[in-house]
Amino acid sequence: MTLLASFAHEDTAVGAAAALREKGVEDFELFSPIPLHHADAAVGLGKSPVRVFTLAGALLGAVGGFALCVWTATRFLLPTAGRPIIALPPYLLITYETTILLGVLATLLGFFVVGRLPAWKDRAYRPASNVDRFVIAVAGASAGQAEEILRASGAESIERENAS
Amino acid sequence: MSSVLRKQMFDHGPPSYAEVNRDVINALTTTTWRYWLTLGISASVALLFFIAPWIYQIIVGVGAAGMNRNAMWGTYLSNFIFWIGLSHSGTLLSAVLHITQSDWRKSIYRSAEAMTLFSLMTAALFVMVHVGRLWFVHWTFPVPNPMELWPNFRSPLMFDVMAILTYLTASSVFIYMGSLPDFAAVRDASKGLRRRIYAVLCFGWRGTAQEWHTLGWSYTFFAVLVIPLAVSVHSIVSWDFAMSTVPGLHQTIFAPYFVCGAIYSGTAGIVTVMWMLRRYMGFGRYIGKLHIDNLSKLLLVLSLIWTYINICELFTAWYADTSFENEAILYRIWEGPFWWLWWEMIAFCAFVPLLLFSRRIRQNWNLMLVISIVINIGMLTERFVIVASSLPRKFLPDVFGTYFPSLVEISITVGSFAVFTTLFLLFVKIFPAVSIYEVKETLAPLRKREASA
Repeated sequence: MTLLASFAHEDTAVGAAAALREKGVEDFELFSPIPLHHADAAVGLGKSPVRVFTLAGALLGAVGGFALCVWTATRFLLPTAGRPIIALPPYLLITYETTILLGVLATLLGFFVVGRLPAWKDRAYRPASNVDRFVIAVAGASAGQAEEILRASGAESIERENAS
Repeated sequence: MSSVLRKQMFDHGPPSYAEVNRDVINALTTTTWRYWLTLGISASVALLFFIAPWIYQIIVGVGAAGMNRNAMWGTYLSNFIFWIGLSHSGTLLSAVLHITQSDWRKSIYRSAEAMTLFSLMTAALFVMVHVGRLWFVHWTFPVPNPMELWPNFRSPLMFDVMAILTYLTASSVFIYMGSLPDFAAVRDASKGLRRRIYAVLCFGWRGTAQEWHTLGWSYTFFAVLVIPLAVSVHSIVSWDFAMSTVPGLHQTIFAPYFVCGAIYSGTAGIVTVMWMLRRYMGFGRYIGKLHIDNLSKLLLVLSLIWTYINICELFTAWYADTSFENEAILYRIWEGPFWWLWWEMIAFCAFVPLLLFSRRIRQNWNLMLVISIVINIGMLTERFVIVASSLPRKFLPDVFGTYFPSLVEISITVGSFAVFTTLFLLFVKIFPAVSIYEVKETLAPLRKREASA
């Protein structure tokens, strides 16, 4: 069973989320139509692990791009006008581009992994939370205890939904 | 965000949260016969003026274009630079203004990014047109040939391929990720097939705190990665020219010159697109005086930088006083067949924008439309002048020649604008052209305490 509480105001919704955490209810989600940056603490979010993906991807891109240039240039030596086979300035440009390319792709991967998307299945959701409502969904055993807290925090309406 | 700025952003008063959803999704789902007519016309023009001459050129060979032994590069390459340049402003405007937290960007950035993406695609098309034998275009990619010889990574053309592929990837990711919550909003507001399509497109977005948090972080990383990328892309395009030894092209100022010109013409392009969105998509409520005023100020600054770099270019040539450079410059601005285009470019891109010192002109949408188009005509000719006045005049008189675009080239140039328009028209019916959630962020927050206070 899932409990869905709807709020008209972001501060009451964030307050409710904080109250839930205070009472030891961790298994809930807060839906909002806009990012609520000040709510991160209330729902227990700190620095996002996406940054690890970005860094790893960028480093891999840097090493990989440079390695690509060096490796391909040494497969078949083509000396031109006495210029170095492994030429730093042009290879660093390629490295620069591949750093960004893999940085972007890894960030994308990080987004999907950390944000747990894509998720093409039915999950607790109220479309109003993408318009002008703030919704808190509490799942599982703590739903009974949560109802009191949510009502006390000023929920507009509370619905129950049996998980499919 | 301050309430003063909030007031300035919306000429007719700020909408409510629900109205933002309704307005933006309506623009997406309600399609009038005018839209279909415009789409039909622009697609036909693209077919007739771009695709048809291209097929003709593929059949008879690249000799259908006016390029020849002295001038290996022509209009295709200058158009390629133009379209790449046009793409710059979208990303830079969006990413830089995101990093600096300039909130006025929020109602215009989505379309600006779309402009980036589609002008990049148009530019990529020009590479394919330019190479002639389209079926060998994979020779430009970093893959070995059957004899296991790899392309030369010391060549600026190779930098170019890497830069543009990266830019195309990054700007697609950037616009798509920024649109996820809005795809979800369209999904919620529609039924049937459209609902199912958007349910897939939005990856099952629900707007949980976790999702917003992750999107916020990722988006900032994208922005941080995309800014140096955009700067590098046009610098690298400029090195296609500057790293040759051709007089008139072999100049260290080319990278900043190209980057500045790119942002300049891109910003003018954004003004044109915004005018269209206001006029034909009904976004007048979201794109107002503040936006046009800020964009125009940006245009003014860029035009001054652009003028300065042009003066530098002439000055360095004069100061170095080498005969080749002197002749190249003289050929470009006075003796060559395209001298009048050089003066046109100076008039359009250096003098016309001086009008923007006046606030009344800056805030006049129709006048700004004209000015923005004039600037882009100037920028298109700037690129043409660079290519057409240098390559036919290398060091020795026996390689001197002239270049004049053939009918096929002129037609493909005209057609490319239709290709871009067609792509953009498709965009406004697939993507919410104004970011729903970011416009909401600029509205007064739905807070109980503030409301009662």
